[in-house]
Amino acid sequence: MTEFATRAPRVVAAAEGRRRRNGGPRGGVILAFVAPFLLPFLLFYVVPVAYAVWQSFLVVRRSSGQYGVPYTTFGGFEQYVQVMQNTEFWASIGRVALFGIVQVPVMLFIALAMALLLDTPLLKIKSFFRITAFMPYAVPGVIAAIMWSFLYSPQFSPIVDALQAIGLQPDFLGPAGVLWSTANISTWLWTGYNMLILFSALQAIPQEIYEAAKLDGASNWVIAWQIKVPMITPSIVLTTVFSIIGTLQLYAEPAVLRQISSNISSTFTPNMVAYAVASGNNYQQAAAISVVIAVITFVLSFAFMRLTSRKAGL
Amino acid sequence: MAGGGAAQAPTRGPEAFLHPIRKYDLLIQPDAGNPPCGRVLSIPQKASPPDVFPSKSTASHRSKAIRKENMSNRSSRIRLAGVAIAAAISVAALAGCSSPATSSGSASASCEPSKGKVTLQYWNTVPGMDQVVAVWNKKHPDVQVQIKNISNDQYGTLGNALKAGKAPELAQVGYDELPDLRTQDAFVDASACKAAVAAKSKFVPWTWSQTSFGGTGVFAYPQDTGPMALYVRTDLFAKYGVQIPKTWDEYAAAAQKLHAADPNLSITYFDPNNAEWFNGLLWQNSADMYSYSGGKWHVTVDNDKGKQVADYWQKLIDEKLVRTDLASGSTPANAAFEQNQLATYIGAAWGYSGFRDNNPDLAGKWSIVQMPTWGSDPASGDWGGSSVAFMKGNKHLYESVEFNTWLNTDPDALALENKLGGLYPAALAGSKLPALSQGVPYYNNEKIFDVFAESSKNIDTSFTWGPTQKTVNLALQDAMAKATAGSGTLSDALTAAQAAALKSMKDLDISAVAGN
Repeated sequence: MTEFATRAPRVVAAAEGRRRRNGGPRGGVILAFVAPFLLPFLLFYVVPVAYAVWQSFLVVRRSSGQYGVPYTTFGGFEQYVQVMQNTEFWASIGRVALFGIVQVPVMLFIALAMALLLDTPLLKIKSFFRITAFMPYAVPGVIAAIMWSFLYSPQFSPIVDALQAIGLQPDFLGPAGVLWSTANISTWLWTGYNMLILFSALQAIPQEIYEAAKLDGASNWVIAWQIKVPMITPSIVLTTVFSIIGTLQLYAEPAVLRQISSNISSTFTPNMVAYAVASGNNYQQAAAISVVIAVITFVLSFAFMRLTSRKAGL
Repeated sequence: MAGGGAAQAPTRGPEAFLHPIRKYDLLIQPDAGNPPCGRVLSIPQKASPPDVFPSKSTASHRSKAIRKENMSNRSSRIRLAGVAIAAAISVAALAGCSSPATSSGSASASCEPSKGKVTLQYWNTVPGMDQVVAVWNKKHPDVQVQIKNISNDQYGTLGNALKAGKAPELAQVGYDELPDLRTQDAFVDASACKAAVAAKSKFVPWTWSQTSFGGTGVFAYPQDTGPMALYVRTDLFAKYGVQIPKTWDEYAAAAQKLHAADPNLSITYFDPNNAEWFNGLLWQNSADMYSYSGGKWHVTVDNDKGKQVADYWQKLIDEKLVRTDLASGSTPANAAFEQNQLATYIGAAWGYSGFRDNNPDLAGKWSIVQMPTWGSDPASGDWGGSSVAFMKGNKHLYESVEFNTWLNTDPDALALENKLGGLYPAALAGSKLPALSQGVPYYNNEKIFDVFAESSKNIDTSFTWGPTQKTVNLALQDAMAKATAGSGTLSDALTAAQAAALKSMKDLDISAVAGN
């Protein structure tokens, strides 16, 4: 096997060298193929991000007078100092961190269990269950939040009525419960999506492994937890990273629930903090907040991927 | 990992996540003594995640030539990326910086009639305004007005348009947002137009004081107002033998009696997420929050009169005499009125159509009287109401003034706006409108607009809004919500709003001090 290893790269190197000498794909052709993606990517992704980063280094100054005329000027890290001192912002980061630590594992566990169930020969009407599990993802986040707001409302909710009938007093929109009510909406929306990713990964496992395992005398339970789950670890890592990123960017569900619950402040999640600051016309500070959110997201995702790749023994 | 570099494949793309199994991951060795049918010896406990971020260790297994080529590929890619990012940042930088303005944008502009056909842009949020504008367009073929509805994020849209230099000629701006927009240099002074200066006499004095920023120029015309009054369920008060309150003390006493008589009944609800309503109550008590002197804003959001109002409502909340779980204008609130759970509503003139449309079954059960007062003197506050402002960059001031004057003082226009949009006009001519002089069937044919006209007379003319009102309102709401949830008081909310006002003004380089 070692022989194969040292031979393969040399073969590849030789092949690439041959290709070069024949004058392979020219730069122009490459550009023509990539341009339709590259152009909108630069225009609508890179430039706005660069603009936001630039704005975060500006401060607002004003000419004299009761109102004055505002202008922006370079301010160094002044906006970032403001962000570091913004207690509401860090409270919101703490809030979504708490949200994420609970909601992400719960959601992924449910998605994994559903994917494993779908993968067994036990389930007869597979496609029906697959579609119904995925349907919540097709509902736009705002609509889902509106729908759930009715299900949480003490006046209108049949769930609240049913719970009150058996003597419980649920307070879905109270100060303690509103975060978890939001988590419930997120879980409902995204479990199907994550289940589908995990299910596709399960489909890719070759059948020979199951046969071999069965020959070894493994039960279905052992196959599920000691063969299938380890084999789809990359997909689990992927869905976790996506979920971490999504959690840090939580906005739509709390913003909608805010209409009916006074326990969601305008600074409930980091994105809401950025939006509130922007609506106060301090775009430069909002840009700094956005950059800090992006950096935190990047650090957390990167750390998680490093952690899992190290644990996997790479 | 056993097998070292043997099991390492070249770096994988995203498809690796869907096809994690590679042949070399399984160690299948022929069993020496048995037939060569391969026996799975071990399966890695966890498949290694593919290298999304290729580490240097993969390179160590390759020949130098490959490594060099990869390096040069990577470095050229890095160079390319660097160039792209540098280009992007420089483009953004050119767009980002602005220089100090050499002249005040609110300086009085000239007022000459424009030549040829003129098109004016008018952005607003009032329903039915397009029909009003259609009436003008028919009569004035040379001055056409195009209307755009910006109910969705009104001030965000205006702020963005101003930044882009594409603001409309005229826009609807609430009284409480006028200073906020002025600090964004949003308006142009129409004082050069004689008609604009003469319009002062056509409007209720306190509204002109707001739109002229205390008489320093003509930046907007008042359009409508929201003088506050007390909507009372006369049937419930009669049922429990409670007098309709005239002072806030009587109101608190009535709250006690009503709640004691029927635990499901509250005198009203307190919505902590409605800073505009609460500001109206502060206005009634002349709890002035902002003034300007000596080149500085003086911020007194937490003044004593404001705290008096806050403590009053905190007491009602603590004694559970008001509901705190309902949002103004929401479906649960309408349902609560319908189910006889609320006995009064402290609202503005534009609120009369809400009950008429949402609670038709309650027709004839409502009466509208003056708000309870703090002392023996009549006093009232305003909740809402808007102006039509002349926006920066307006090149057709003469025509804009013409249209604005017609829109907000012409009796036909006012009648249509009242009928379609429910507007209570700020113009003095508005109180003489036929629609406003008649009794309203829903309210027992009472002449409710006389009550609002009376209320309007008692509105303090010196009340000023702050230059960062939006941020202060948000901070006030957040803190009031905490108070209704049990942590802190409404008085603390005013303190928090004071701190937010000072900080937001400092962030926007507006010189401000606390206290008078």
